[in-house]
Amino acid sequence: MKSVLLLILCTLAVFANTLTFEHDFTQAQKKAKQEHKQVMMMYSAVWCPECNYMKEVVFKNQDVVSYIQKHYVVLTLDVQKDTLPEGFDYPGIPVFFFLDDKAKEKNKIIGGSKANIFLQKLKGLK
Amino acid sequence: MKYILLSLLLFSNTLWAFDAADLKKVKEDGDCPMCDLSGADLRGLDLSMSDFSDANLSHANLANTLAHKADFSNADLSDTNLSKSNIKGAYFVKATLLHTNLSEARIWKGDFSYAHIDQCNFNESALGSAIFDHNNLNNSSFKGAILYKTIFRKKVLGIPK
Repeated sequence: MKSVLLLILCTLAVFANTLTFEHDFTQAQKKAKQEHKQVMMMYSAVWCPECNYMKEVVFKNQDVVSYIQKHYVVLTLDVQKDTLPEGFDYPGIPVFFFLDDKAKEKNKIIGGSKANIFLQKLKGLK
Repeated sequence: MKYILLSLLLFSNTLWAFDAADLKKVKEDGDCPMCDLSGADLRGLDLSMSDFSDANLSHANLANTLAHKADFSNADLSDTNLSKSNIKGAYFVKATLLHTNLSEARIWKGDFSYAHIDQCNFNESALGSAIFDHNNLNNSSFKGAILYKTIFRKKVLGIPK
C-alpha cells in the first residue's frame, strides 16, 4: 500500500513540474479565464528542429516551467494541421503569441532561444 | 604626410572594394553568384533563398540579415560579420570562413560540410541540427552555442562539448 502511495506521489510530483499543452484555441481561452492567466500560443511544426528544441529542452527547464505555469495556459498549434485565428501573423516558426482577454495578440516572441534567454524575454513581457 | 595618408586611404578602399553593380544586383534581385561584395554593407536586408555561391563576401557586413536557406557555397566569408543574422538552413558547403563572426546567429540546419573554418566566432549561436563534415573547429569559439542535435559527420576536428 505504501509503495502504491509513493508511486502516486512521485507521479504527481513529476507532472507538477511538466507543462500541459492545450490544442484548442477556445478551450485554452476558457481555461485561462478560469485560472486568471493569459494564453501563450505556440505555433510550430514537428519537422522544425528549433520548435522541438523549445519543447524538449527549454520547456523542461524548471525555471521556465514554473514561470509559465504561474502566468500562462500554453496552447500549441501545428502549422500543417491548424490555421491561425484571424489577426495573427507570423514571419516563421516557432513563434509565441501572448493573448489578451479578448483573444487578440498582446505580445509576440519570434524564434526559440536558450532557457535563460527565453525566461528573460518572458519576464520582459510583463 | 598628406600624400601618405591619401595613399593609405585609397589603398584601404581598394582592398575591400565591392562592385557597385553587384551590390545593386543584390538589392534588386537578391541573387548574386560569383559577385564581388567584399566590404559591402548588407545589414538588415532580406536575403532569404539568395544565391551567393562563389561570391566574395569578405569583410562584408551581414549583421541582422535574414538569409534563410541562402546559398553561400564556395563563397569567401573571411572577416564577414554575420552576427545576429537569421541564416536557418543556409548552405556553407566548401565556403571559406576565416575570422567570421557568427555570434548570436540563428543557424538551425545550416550546412558547413567541407567548409574551411578557422578562428570563427560561433558564441551564443543556434546550431541545432546544423551539419559539420570535414571541418577543423579547433580554433573557433562556440561558447554558449546551442548544439541540440547538431550533426558532426566525418573528419570533424575539435567538436565542441
